[in-house]
Amino acid sequence: MSIQRQEKKPVTITIDGKECMGSQGETILKIARANGIYIPTMCYLSKVEPIASCRMCVVEVEGVEGMILSCQEKAVDGAVVKTSSKDLYTQRQNIMKLYNVNHPLECGVCDKSGECDLQNKTLEFGISQQSFTTRESHKKVENWGYVSYDPALCIMCEKCVRVSNEITGNEALSISVGGYKSTIVNSKNFTCASLGESAAVCPVGALVNSDFKYTSNAWELKRIPASCAHCSSVCSLNYEVKNDKIYRVTNNFEFSSLCGAGRFGFDFENRNAVKDFEIFREAVSAFKRADTVRFSAVITNEEALILQKLKDKYKYKLVCDEAYGYQQFLKAYGSITGETLYSGDLNSIKESSAVIVFGSRINDDNPMVKYHITMASKRNRARVAYLHPIEDSNIGNIVTQFIKYEAGSEEGVAALLANTLLSSREISPELKSFLDNLDIGNLSAESSVGEEELTALLKSIDKKDRLTFVVGNDIYNHPRAKEIAKLLGAIDKYSDFSFVIVPPATNALGVSLICSLDEKAEGYTVGFNSKGNFELSSLGGGDMDMPALNQQEGTLTNIDKRVVPTNVALNYNGYVLNDIANELGLNAEYTIDYTSDLPVKSGFRSEVFDDLPSYFDNSGFEHRGYLLTSKSMKAAQGFDDIEELPTFDGAIVYNCNENINMNIFTNVTKAFKSDVVYLKGSPQFANIVKLKDGEEIIFSANGTKYKRVFKIDESMKGTIALNPTFDMDLHASLNSSYRFSHLNREQ
Amino acid sequence: MANVFFSTWQGELIDNRNKKEDELQASAFSLPENYTSDKSSKAFIGWDGVALFDKDVDVVRLAMEYAAQYQIYSEACGRCTPGRWGGRILYDLLDKIARGEGSHDDIAHLKEVSSTMMITSKCEIGKTVPKPILDLMEHFAADFNDLIDNQKASRHYNEEINYIAKVTAPCTDMCPSHVDIPAYIEGVRDMQFSESLGATRQTMPLAHTCGRVCPHPCEDACRRANLDSPISIMELKRLGADYETDHGLPWQHPFEPKEPKNDGKKVAIIGAGPAGLTAAYYLALEGIQVDIFEELPVLGGEVAVGVPQYRMPIEKYNKDIVLVTSMPTVNVITNHRVDAARLKEIDSEYDATLLAFGTRLSKKIGAANEKMDMGGYWGAIAMLDKVNLWHKYSTGSPASNELKDKVVVCVGGGFTSMDVVRCSIREGASRVVMLYRRDEKTIIGNTTYEEYHEAVEEGVEFIFHSAIEEIFDDGKNITKLKINQYELVPDPNGGRAQLVKREDGDFEMECDYLIPAVSQSADLQLLPAEWELALTSWETLLTNGKDYMTSRPGLFAAGDCEYGPMTIVNAVGQAKRAASVISKYIYDGKVSLSDDEIMEDHLKKLKVYNKKEKITGWMPGLPRVVSQKLEVDERKDNNKEVNMGFTGEEAVDEAQRCMRCYYISMVAV
Repeated sequence: MSIQRQEKKPVTITIDGKECMGSQGETILKIARANGIYIPTMCYLSKVEPIASCRMCVVEVEGVEGMILSCQEKAVDGAVVKTSSKDLYTQRQNIMKLYNVNHPLECGVCDKSGECDLQNKTLEFGISQQSFTTRESHKKVENWGYVSYDPALCIMCEKCVRVSNEITGNEALSISVGGYKSTIVNSKNFTCASLGESAAVCPVGALVNSDFKYTSNAWELKRIPASCAHCSSVCSLNYEVKNDKIYRVTNNFEFSSLCGAGRFGFDFENRNAVKDFEIFREAVSAFKRADTVRFSAVITNEEALILQKLKDKYKYKLVCDEAYGYQQFLKAYGSITGETLYSGDLNSIKESSAVIVFGSRINDDNPMVKYHITMASKRNRARVAYLHPIEDSNIGNIVTQFIKYEAGSEEGVAALLANTLLSSREISPELKSFLDNLDIGNLSAESSVGEEELTALLKSIDKKDRLTFVVGNDIYNHPRAKEIAKLLGAIDKYSDFSFVIVPPATNALGVSLICSLDEKAEGYTVGFNSKGNFELSSLGGGDMDMPALNQQEGTLTNIDKRVVPTNVALNYNGYVLNDIANELGLNAEYTIDYTSDLPVKSGFRSEVFDDLPSYFDNSGFEHRGYLLTSKSMKAAQGFDDIEELPTFDGAIVYNCNENINMNIFTNVTKAFKSDVVYLKGSPQFANIVKLKDGEEIIFSANGTKYKRVFKIDESMKGTIALNPTFDMDLHASLNSSYRFSHLNREQ
Repeated sequence: MANVFFSTWQGELIDNRNKKEDELQASAFSLPENYTSDKSSKAFIGWDGVALFDKDVDVVRLAMEYAAQYQIYSEACGRCTPGRWGGRILYDLLDKIARGEGSHDDIAHLKEVSSTMMITSKCEIGKTVPKPILDLMEHFAADFNDLIDNQKASRHYNEEINYIAKVTAPCTDMCPSHVDIPAYIEGVRDMQFSESLGATRQTMPLAHTCGRVCPHPCEDACRRANLDSPISIMELKRLGADYETDHGLPWQHPFEPKEPKNDGKKVAIIGAGPAGLTAAYYLALEGIQVDIFEELPVLGGEVAVGVPQYRMPIEKYNKDIVLVTSMPTVNVITNHRVDAARLKEIDSEYDATLLAFGTRLSKKIGAANEKMDMGGYWGAIAMLDKVNLWHKYSTGSPASNELKDKVVVCVGGGFTSMDVVRCSIREGASRVVMLYRRDEKTIIGNTTYEEYHEAVEEGVEFIFHSAIEEIFDDGKNITKLKINQYELVPDPNGGRAQLVKREDGDFEMECDYLIPAVSQSADLQLLPAEWELALTSWETLLTNGKDYMTSRPGLFAAGDCEYGPMTIVNAVGQAKRAASVISKYIYDGKVSLSDDEIMEDHLKKLKVYNKKEKITGWMPGLPRVVSQKLEVDERKDNNKEVNMGFTGEEAVDEAQRCMRCYYISMVAV
């Protein structure tokens, strides 16, 4: 018995005569799959820990009596494994016979038919008749909102429960154990859209998407590999299409996940576009006379490049409210770290043993980041410090320390964090003198972050080896964003934290790297999914139609700093930006001709669109587009003195969309479209604003006027209300302002 | 030994069916031939075979009922294909045969399903349930065939017979608290940490504590040891408790606590140590009013003031304590020393009283010139009180005032002595010596490998096979010790080796502080003499070790004051049982055990763990995961928790090594 931790050594095992390499701790099944060797399973799901309920994956190991469960048993160096034999076949066949006991014969109408693991394995093991029956009881079909559950079809593989617990973290599903009567239960009756992730992994037709149910046979759908348009995670997905209509979204659930918005918010296409040559000519002349082109970051890299090229030619101002603050933030950040890109990615969050989240209501802002924090929390027992002005009860199960700071005090908080996290580090003299001169007591008082909280934070990450710091959307448009960026850059540079600076919109990172952006629009403005004198719109309703992201091919740059391809799922009959660009003197047959022209100096590669891969290999490695290269930049050392921290008294609104209805595009989908938009606040907020639950309120914040219905959320505390903005498509101030603002009620 | 009519238990085949009186064989195992003193058993059937005590047993129905009990047990499982469907089919087919509707095909199907269950089930319960059923089908084939051929119901099919079943596991059986270990390990494996904690708290409220400082007797009964090395059972218990604490979750009780009964019934508990807290918790879960009387200003007993902070951080122990004290019917009175007069008052005021005051008197070592009032002579309990009160509660003064730069000699060999020497290192002693009569292997057996290893790393000198002959003083303080050395001389007749004094082995050693930590005894002064309570030969309260009532009705005793100085987990187990008995006693005035408790005692006698059993179906050679410890230099001058516990990955890896050795057994009465 040794006290010291053992390093992971390589192991070599022989499977069916083939020598296979793996590393200590890897299971036999994992090594087999990585080596292209098939072992049948019913309950195995690569992205979660082994479930071990089906027992199909048993193998024989030389010198070991009995059958070995390959999904859970780790490979021991030198083991000689046999994955098939007469005995193994008999036992697997017997298991399939048991699975078929009383399984309802409703394949003719079952959603899963044609892609059902039970069907496939029944065929594979030649079960032509049901040898056993047993007394059956009635089991009621349950409707859980976006998904529904039929316990009679359920084979109790438990994949859905694992996903709910380990990945999405909604902890909605659990097992009601009762021998033959066991079922999956949703005891708190959650209806959240993240249950779609549990349905996605169901091997049979037990847990299915409510909306898709009985609408199509699986084999009639054409699968279009694409990338999700809704947030900067830009997850890989398939649009499944028939007759120019998307029926559902699927994904490679073995290795990746989607959020509710990605899973169910797919029908945001610009449906009725036509080619109107008159309008096209107007558009061309609008570009020619434009003083400003203003656009939204829900755009491909190629389109962003076209806009930049046109800027070079026509010298207009190029404004992207969503990306400008972010671009400036990255620059200031890089001025300290000396790198153009941040160091971490979603995987580094997942691998972490401690995570700090600062400046984001992360569960709403980026569900995929939240999933990865959940994985770290469950698998690595990660300490998760959540620093924000508003406590979020939705992530109470993963957060180990909530540190509440005053809205507006982020610069002070960043300074306190730098001072705490770098306290025992070798740092530059400039930084040392900056930190030494901080008035900690004052910063602490002003931000309400207590020194004991910081001490507890430091203690909790003591001895943790993989640390990730997640920075979010609240910071990029803070009046002191650049100073905050430098402080965080210093933490990145001098500590062991890797950083993920979450891009605030779908392709905000791509836009920041491709375009030279201007801060303010002026004069005659062409708006591209944005406000302007002449408006190009992917939603329809502008002066001229543009294709939505599910009608387009091109690339996007995601939070992982990966350039990923997306493809056309639905027809689009109108003009595209490339048509206008060609008319304006650029020359490309297709928009994707620009893919190979993306700026290498910003880290892109000259890769041709059609050469970009998009798959996961057997070991789960993502082969999708390519990773950007971070470039060195000149590092500076100066830190500005902390300004007096702004304070917000009274009622405050925080611009924040819920994680399903993320933006203007999700708000046109059937699953999420809402006619009424709710301002959500605590009972205390209701009290100071003198609002009742259900009452209508008109207010302005940062110069934008909102009409909302107020809803009391008993799980909230304090005087800050959540104000969704998904219905406020064309308001520029929204995307370029600090997310917290005073509420000015209009009577 | 048991008288049986037929038995296949653990591979024995005893068949007295056609034997004459003088040819009858008895079973070599302690099978429960008598269920209780006034009730005999008809049959016992379980994971390793079947035993019939009575000629008239209906074997087909016995097999069917056993399969039925597995179905009922599966109410708490059903999480693998062979177990979920196979178990149901076993029961359906056996019932079909027993009621007279079976066919020979059903027998073939039973064998086929049994084979799949035995080879591929997830838990040992699914793997072992078919075993006795197949035994019966083999040895009583005629009975089965008779029912099938004649399509008739088995002979006692419609009679009322009492079948009592119990699920256990070797580790659970060995654990004095009978913690459902496979369940809490499964919770870790599934990363359902709250469920893990809920499973622990069914019988063990001190999850933080026994996830840290339990000597884990369970690990000596872990079947995984038959394959490679035992599961790190104890440390996996921490996960659930830490999860609840880290995430600030509401208390995870094993079940929804019952509403306070407010019926005027109340129980007094003397002592707020592990036993007292445990009894209070389980009584409170039933809604019963409990008052705990504690002599010290702090709660927790020896674990609070005895076990050092670096091993058992008080913040964590306090979580366990608050779990108990936050129960609505638990009331705590601290700084309240109960003496004989007070105990008489309490005894008359309360419906039942549980004595749980531990053993807090340090025993003498028995050396010449041993005077308890000589300077430098410091009992282990008093010394640890001082250390812990200062570090954990900032009460008193630091022990470094006494121990810094001094030579400390401890005489012991158990956990308490380990605490003494390691604390002495932390208080800055210049030299710390442990004298122990026996050898290294024994001290590891008495404590743990980790404990001994860590003490050595921190600089404690262990002198084995040694004892103090005489203490020297200067009239005021201890100055030096005369020490004898012994050697172990094997008995030529193969008996136990004897310790024999080595003639050349005496030596003297300078000493400033001599800390005896040989054992502790109970402070019996608080027992009213006129009660004439029965005591054990080692001066603790005598009970029958099953219901924990003393010789005085309504007065119970649990923990060290009953057993003698023992482990936390032992105190918890006794107190849990006592609470269960008390919760009935205060209503019916009777001392009774539940069927589950009776079975628990039967199984303990039978022994669940079989060291010689060969394990199949698991890959050998996967090492036990060892958690990270603070390095010596990081820990030896402070009170930081030494054991950092498992990382998430390590915990899941270790949990996946667990073979879930659940067994089901059943008695027909």
